[in-house]
Amino acid sequence: MPDEAQRARRALTVSNRIASKLRGLSDTAIAWIFIGPTILLLLAINIFPLLWTIYLSFTNYRANQPGRPVRWIGTRNYERLLGSEDIWGYLQATAHFVIWTMIFQIVIGFGLALLINRNFRGASFWTTIILIPMMLSPAVVGTFWTYIYQPQTGIFSYIVDFFAGTGALDMIGSVALAPWSIIIVDTWMWTPYIMLLCLAGLRSIPDYLYEAAEIDRANALQRFWYITLPRVLPFLMLAVLFRGIENFKMFDLVVELTSGGPGSTTELASINLKREAFEKWRTGYSSAFAIILFVTIFGLGNIYVKVLNKVKS
Amino acid sequence: MAGAVLENVFKTFGETVAVENLSLSVDHGEFLVLLGPTGAGKTTTLRLLAGLELPDSGKVLVADADVTALPPAARDVAFVFQQYSLYPHYTVFENLAFPLRAPGRRLDAESIRKRVGEIAEMLRIGHKLNDKVTQLSGGEMQRVSIGRALVRKPNLFLMDEPLSSLDAKLREDLRVELKRIQRDLDATIVYVTHDQLEAMTLADRIGILQEGRLVQIDTPRVAYERPATVYAAQRLGSPQINIVDTGKLGLEDGPPNAATTGIRPEDITVDADQGEEAEIVAVEHRGDETIALIEVDGIRLHALLDAGISMEAGQRTRIAIRSEYAIWFDSQSRLIGSGATG
Ligand SMILES: Nc1ncnc2c1ncn2[C@@H]1O[C@H](COP(=O)(O)OP(=O)(O)OP(=O)(O)O)[C@@H](O)[C@H]1O
Ligand SMILES: [Mg+2]
Repeated sequence: MPDEAQRARRALTVSNRIASKLRGLSDTAIAWIFIGPTILLLLAINIFPLLWTIYLSFTNYRANQPGRPVRWIGTRNYERLLGSEDIWGYLQATAHFVIWTMIFQIVIGFGLALLINRNFRGASFWTTIILIPMMLSPAVVGTFWTYIYQPQTGIFSYIVDFFAGTGALDMIGSVALAPWSIIIVDTWMWTPYIMLLCLAGLRSIPDYLYEAAEIDRANALQRFWYITLPRVLPFLMLAVLFRGIENFKMFDLVVELTSGGPGSTTELASINLKREAFEKWRTGYSSAFAIILFVTIFGLGNIYVKVLNKVKS
Repeated sequence: MAGAVLENVFKTFGETVAVENLSLSVDHGEFLVLLGPTGAGKTTTLRLLAGLELPDSGKVLVADADVTALPPAARDVAFVFQQYSLYPHYTVFENLAFPLRAPGRRLDAESIRKRVGEIAEMLRIGHKLNDKVTQLSGGEMQRVSIGRALVRKPNLFLMDEPLSSLDAKLREDLRVELKRIQRDLDATIVYVTHDQLEAMTLADRIGILQEGRLVQIDTPRVAYERPATVYAAQRLGSPQINIVDTGKLGLEDGPPNAATTGIRPEDITVDADQGEEAEIVAVEHRGDETIALIEVDGIRLHALLDAGISMEAGQRTRIAIRSEYAIWFDSQSRLIGSGATG
């Protein structure tokens, strides 16, 4: 074995040497040629805009008035943002949305994964059915859920009324229900994603672990606690990381469903951001808000990844 | 009292017959080793005893009770898996204590701590009790999984190649330790291996499996000296027994229906004063012993050289065969007689 590996490595270095002789390029030069375009692209569409946004966040720039002189106003945008009651409201709405969607999606997604993993007849058929919402466009999903949510003609209100006798429910129009209306749709759409990753985790558990537990007379709860959960947790946490970041930036579904209303009950951070930037054209101010959101996600994400690595090891 | 019994057990997986009409009985306190090459059905046999597989037909008894239809938990057996099957993300202590915390077997915390400590010391993992099992080396994991079986006092221990991933030194130590533990606990063990040395040293009896069938079950000595078939003869002894057509090499004094003769490498004397002309083809020094591949009359034989004889490839010599130890087989490769018993 080590012999073989050595021979392969030697063959590789030989072919490397030949390749570099032919083109007269060092390995480093070739490496740069390969990654150069990607780095340029990254600089052009990621790094530069980020730096430019940071610059704008310290100015009074308005994108709809290109002729107006741009004035450096220091941290005034930030001071106004952090002092504003409204901003905290938008962030709270966002946190409410992210936390509840994650809770529902973890519980339902993990549950579905456990069911599907039993490999009953037709399991793969049902998997495909369950995955459909995830594959639809958010614009389409948002639009048809507005029909489903119709208080008089929609099926949602009808079903809830049928079982709970609540009368007609105006999910989108009522201040109390609107935040839940977007949570329900997001859960409907993205639970399959969490389920899929949980299923990958479950499938990675070898049978003999459960067999050993069976011989040790472990009960169902112990099997779950000692085997299933530790093995699935890294997958689950990864799914939550992806979905959490996505939902922190949630925009499309909510625009289609409630457009932030009624009032500003479902005005999530990114929806407010779009309003400030492209309806009120307060470019400098919204740049500062964007930077605050970026730092928040980045910070939370980093903490989360640290925890994730700890769980994995 | 019988520790465990299989009666005419069949087990197939689709087209594959894993176990075919297998009957065997392990006495209480006996150490039975199942020996066979890969795919012989060793693991399947253990799984049938454990209840992880249910037989297509036949009966399974553990501690004199018919358990054919009972689930593993009801059989009170311990299983050491071929792969270490430990609970990930838990410490060595948690893994060892787990079987003692199972429902119906609950011990108080103090006795659990004591028992786990004893076993860990015995397997020399006492200093690792607080480590996570994912941080252990392969050998340590294997010892934890052996320990997880030993903390309990089940009716029957089932061990599937438990020493295969350990280094030679540790394997030897644990072999001795395991034998001692088995005597101390008066434990009934069915142990699977394809290592003939392990089989010879550990077993009270060896069962030799060939493609799902039990070819022979005997004490190591009998199995070595009177192998039931050519196949069984080839399973024990290293290097393998030489199988020669009867009549060649002057092997004529066997029973009249003998078709082939088995000669153990240690029964060939090289550098003899008289005997067949032979050429040394290759020599293998193994430290404590030297093995020569010899060609005589177009037949190749392995011989175990006496200490003090040094030979080189290409050298010519004479060999003598101790035909009084020859083992005779008929045309169906079945044992007819052997020198050892006259
Ligand atoms: N779950 C299964 N599904 C299908 N075939 C199986 C299954 N388990 C075992 N077999 C087949 O049964 C035969 C015996 O397998 P078994 O695992 O008992 O062999 P073994 O003697 O333990 O081999 P090894 O030394 O490689 O572990 C093999 O041909 C194997 O392919
Ligand atoms: Mg096996």
